[in-house]
Amino acid sequence: MSISEPSRKAGIIDFGTIGARWLLGALFIYTGLEKVWDPVAFLKLVRQYDLVQTPVLLNSIAAMLPWFEVCCGALLLLGIGVRGTALTLVGILVPFTIVVWHHALELGMAKSIPFCAVKFDCGCGTGEVYICTKLMENFGFILLSCWLLNGRGRRWALSYSLV
Amino acid sequence: MSNGFSASVVGKVVLEAVVVVVAAAAFGFGANELSPRGLKLARNYFPSGTDQAVATSRISAPIVPTNSAASSNITQTSPTDPVDERLKDKGLQPISRARTLELFHDPRYREGPIVFVDARNQEHYEVGHIPGAFPLDPYHPEQQMTGVLTACQAADQVVVYCTGGECEDADTTAILLREAGVPNQKLFVYGGGYEDWAERRLPIERGAKNSGDISGQTK
Repeated sequence: MSISEPSRKAGIIDFGTIGARWLLGALFIYTGLEKVWDPVAFLKLVRQYDLVQTPVLLNSIAAMLPWFEVCCGALLLLGIGVRGTALTLVGILVPFTIVVWHHALELGMAKSIPFCAVKFDCGCGTGEVYICTKLMENFGFILLSCWLLNGRGRRWALSYSLV
Repeated sequence: MSNGFSASVVGKVVLEAVVVVVAAAAFGFGANELSPRGLKLARNYFPSGTDQAVATSRISAPIVPTNSAASSNITQTSPTDPVDERLKDKGLQPISRARTLELFHDPRYREGPIVFVDARNQEHYEVGHIPGAFPLDPYHPEQQMTGVLTACQAADQVVVYCTGGECEDADTTAILLREAGVPNQKLFVYGGGYEDWAERRLPIERGAKNSGDISGQTK
């Protein structure tokens, strides 16, 4: 029996979505664990953005966020609450990307160097990176997260929907 | 089937996201509590050191008398150095490499009146540190603090350093010591730090304090 063109296309989309889910899941687990390994280093990196002044708030962000990422990564990898997790990641990635972009602008102006020549450790779990590379990377992650909202690729998911 | 983006699907996804956020945040705080490397939420890891006492000591910080003729130059570093400016903003006294080296070679360094404190973490300390320096990681001071504090309180001069440059761990450690009772006028921060010291091939000790495993020029 031959597979029809639409169902073959649907199959490719499904596998692509599963691949995206696993890729994002693995990435978030990796970057989260990198931060968990040295929470003080991550705390210092969060502090560089000057987002909050209260120690308890700063500590809470730095303490919770890495494990939050690990948890989201595990949910994606296992296929639990996939669309809710993907939406959560969009909710984290968009403001974080704006903050990183803004900080890089400030650094570029302070050092009088072109924007794309700005290189710093943004606290992303990958060490020092050039800002333009980081922004493209984050844009890719946001697109992948948005792609997961399509509701496809439910195979090998423990509990695709939680509600 | 809930494919697509109908209003009910959007509502379910948003609700699911709320569940995920709450669960992941709870997991995050719980895991941090259980992790031996976890952060203490209520602690101020970056004391600013700009309280009244500091402001007073900053204005009147006297130079502790030493037996060296060069003692009056103890804080003589570049006036435009941003690291020095940062230290002064925190009410701390910068110390130059030349003066740090003099204190290092001062016989009183071996006897106790001069103390060096390495404010980097244990891993970096063991790779290499200024010979005889006490390790004191300001973010995990619990185990080291008692011994270091005793030595600092008994000393006339305490030189604190970290990696150098943008590293503020020496500032944090100096403020920590000050808050623990070490008089500000005894405390000096070597802004150039370990990198500046090592770049000039000055003596480096590997492993534990007084391990004897020393390399670099001793003069």
